[in-house]
Amino acid sequence: MKIRDILSPFTVWKNLFRDPVTINDPVRERPGAPRYRGFHKNDVKKCIGCGTCETICQNGAIDMVPVDGIAAKEGDSGLRPRIDYGRCCWCALCVDVCMTKSLTMSNDYQWIDRDPDAFRFTPGVDKKKWDDAELGYTRPDAHRLTPEERIHMQELGPETRIGSFIEIVKGYSVDEARKEADRCVSCGLCVATCPAHMAIPDYIAAIRDGDYERGLKLLYDTNPLPEVCGRVCTHKCESVCAVKHEGDPIAIRWLKRHIADQVPLDKYRAIVGAAEPATGKKVAVVGAGPAGLSAAYYLARMGHAVEIFEALPAAGGMMRYGIPEYRLPYPDLDKDIAFVKELGVKITLNTRVGKDVTLDDLRKKFDALFISTGLHLGRSTKVPGADHPKVFQSIDLLRRVTLGEDIYCPEQAIVIGGGNVAMDIARTLARIQTKKYGKVGVTLLCLETEDIMPADREEIVESREEGVVLRPGYGPTRIDTDGDRVTGTRFVRCLSVFDENGRFAPRFDQSDEIAISGAMVVESIGQGMDLSYLPDDLQKQIVFERGRPKVDRHFRTSLPWLYAGGDIVQGPDVIHGIANGHAAAVGIDIYLRGKMEQ
Amino acid sequence: MRELYEQLKRLFPLGEYTEQRRDLAFVTVPKDHLRPLLIHLRDREGFTHLVLLTAVDWIEEGRFQLTYLMNDRAGKRDLGLRVLIPRDGAAMEGIHDLWPTAATYQRELREMFGIDFPGSPRVNGEFILEGWTGMPPYRRDFDTKKFSEENFNHRPGRATKDPAKHMKDKLYPDEA
Ligand code: SF4
Ligand code: SF4
Ligand code: SF4
Repeated sequence: MKIRDILSPFTVWKNLFRDPVTINDPVRERPGAPRYRGFHKNDVKKCIGCGTCETICQNGAIDMVPVDGIAAKEGDSGLRPRIDYGRCCWCALCVDVCMTKSLTMSNDYQWIDRDPDAFRFTPGVDKKKWDDAELGYTRPDAHRLTPEERIHMQELGPETRIGSFIEIVKGYSVDEARKEADRCVSCGLCVATCPAHMAIPDYIAAIRDGDYERGLKLLYDTNPLPEVCGRVCTHKCESVCAVKHEGDPIAIRWLKRHIADQVPLDKYRAIVGAAEPATGKKVAVVGAGPAGLSAAYYLARMGHAVEIFEALPAAGGMMRYGIPEYRLPYPDLDKDIAFVKELGVKITLNTRVGKDVTLDDLRKKFDALFISTGLHLGRSTKVPGADHPKVFQSIDLLRRVTLGEDIYCPEQAIVIGGGNVAMDIARTLARIQTKKYGKVGVTLLCLETEDIMPADREEIVESREEGVVLRPGYGPTRIDTDGDRVTGTRFVRCLSVFDENGRFAPRFDQSDEIAISGAMVVESIGQGMDLSYLPDDLQKQIVFERGRPKVDRHFRTSLPWLYAGGDIVQGPDVIHGIANGHAAAVGIDIYLRGKMEQ
Repeated sequence: MRELYEQLKRLFPLGEYTEQRRDLAFVTVPKDHLRPLLIHLRDREGFTHLVLLTAVDWIEEGRFQLTYLMNDRAGKRDLGLRVLIPRDGAAMEGIHDLWPTAATYQRELREMFGIDFPGSPRVNGEFILEGWTGMPPYRRDFDTKKFSEENFNHRPGRATKDPAKHMKDKLYPDEA
């Protein structure tokens, strides 16, 4: 050891009486730099509780917690992020990923408290002095961790598609689908809004992993018609997708279609699984539309023998006889139906219940019944002239086109109605006119102004592209006829469709009249149901509510053995039909197993 | 900058060119041409200063990208040279003989990414991590979340909820 090492500790002493080089600085305001990353702020009204901030935090500093006064609702979980500053490293990944830009950071970083738990709080909910701080860190606009734009979908242009009934949307390639799937943050906000509560983030993750078998299995857990829904679903889920706040929502519907398109039918059984052992119970389903097929599929899975009775020559209901081929090609619909059959469901076609077989017969032969006969009676405007033979119902024409009939289609046609079915017939007529006359002559008028037209936005855009003339905001007063010819229709401007209570009560300006010429009129203002196949004594026993059979949460009517679903219960929508077909199957299964135990 | 790139291209087999600003551009260079290009830039084009040397882990492609950022003080411009090397057994020839400061960057890259620079001074010595034995933490397959969970405690009483599950409980508890 050197002598210096022994003495050096003592040399420190001589510094003891010198002036210190450091100064005593009491705690006082020392503002952070303008873009300093300090304590978080959250605009809780804008935040949707998606939890993406929690997922990205590499320090596990965030918990999603319920907050008083913020309820869960569609598109918002009601949860809000709570941050543990014992773990936060101020990296701002949570701010950068935030799906709504609600989460930011103040430049405030000074805060002293003796209670360590005080440093765990919910920004925006637990009031803090920096809540109104103007400076701090906000995600710069160009700085995105998830791509904002939807992967482009290849579609046929208007000039090509108008000449035929070929499908417009081409579908994603494997690579495109993976890129689109990559934009999903797996928050699951969309699941509550999907009527069938499909496992959306999970099947999207399956695409990301390229695992189409897992994807298909997940689809079939809640929806036995994925090819159909992947094309024509009303995709309400996309309207609440977390990504929509700062970009395009995920193309959920097209990703679903992609999975089903990717797997050939002959692989389905091995992937989705076969039916459970037979229970010996028999269920009859009336109507082979989405609800009927869905109920039949899940009942067959559970081991019950199912027979569907269908009046028309092919199964599918509105999916086949309503929706045109350019939106849903028959081979894709047939693929979904084929797997329902493969599971053992028997479909008896060309058999109208109430005529070819009575409901009482079915009741005797089967243990339970599910009726899903849909809405096939077109409603008339009942204006003078509406009973003329050249005035048609959209639903009848669409059915006849599917059946291969040559329908009456003059050079100028008038369509009345603003929903998707009106669009379907307008665009169908436009195609027939193009083939026949080389040009389109369809005028579509409806009470609603364009902003409140019930049709999907893309239908409005695409029909215009195809040459259909839209005149929203008019109601018909009279159809002009001349012997066996229709010459045109008079309309007056509609001022409002609903009254203050939101009830249908259109008001018109009679002085603002227009005349549209056309040799045919198609009414498409809604459909009603035909339940005449239910014998009178049953009709009396079933409770109706606003014209629809009243059902419980298992879609059971007031009769223990009679279940009802689809459009006759919930109004026209494929995915609702599928969801309540499934719910009814669960209910019927409980009912049948109860009987088996007796 | 584009002009400089065109000139350099006549002398070196350069790859992709990205102009970020008028005074900042990046160019990809094959590994073996980095040294002659650096010397050329230093001695002929005024890029005398090595601003920094850093790396990016392109794990999907199985490659590391090294970025040598060079500054031309008189010309007030920066040029970044990108070199891609295989991630497996990642190693690169050092440039500490051209700029002694490079040794510090090389030591940092060795520690944080596990990229070796054989012969670089003290390249295997600890840099800022002490007693680190695991995977280099800037590698993309390093599980930061797991590391933080294993090394830092949670305060008691924490609880979180899954948004989708919470919505089911609140909005449709009875449905399938
Ligand atoms: S700033 Fe970083 S560490 Fe802190 S909560 Fe956000 S993501 Fe987590
Ligand atoms: S990511 Fe943003 S919107 Fe989503 S929960 Fe976190 S703060 Fe709210
Ligand atoms: S599709 Fe949208 S809402 Fe659904 S999980 Fe993905 S990001 Fe969330």
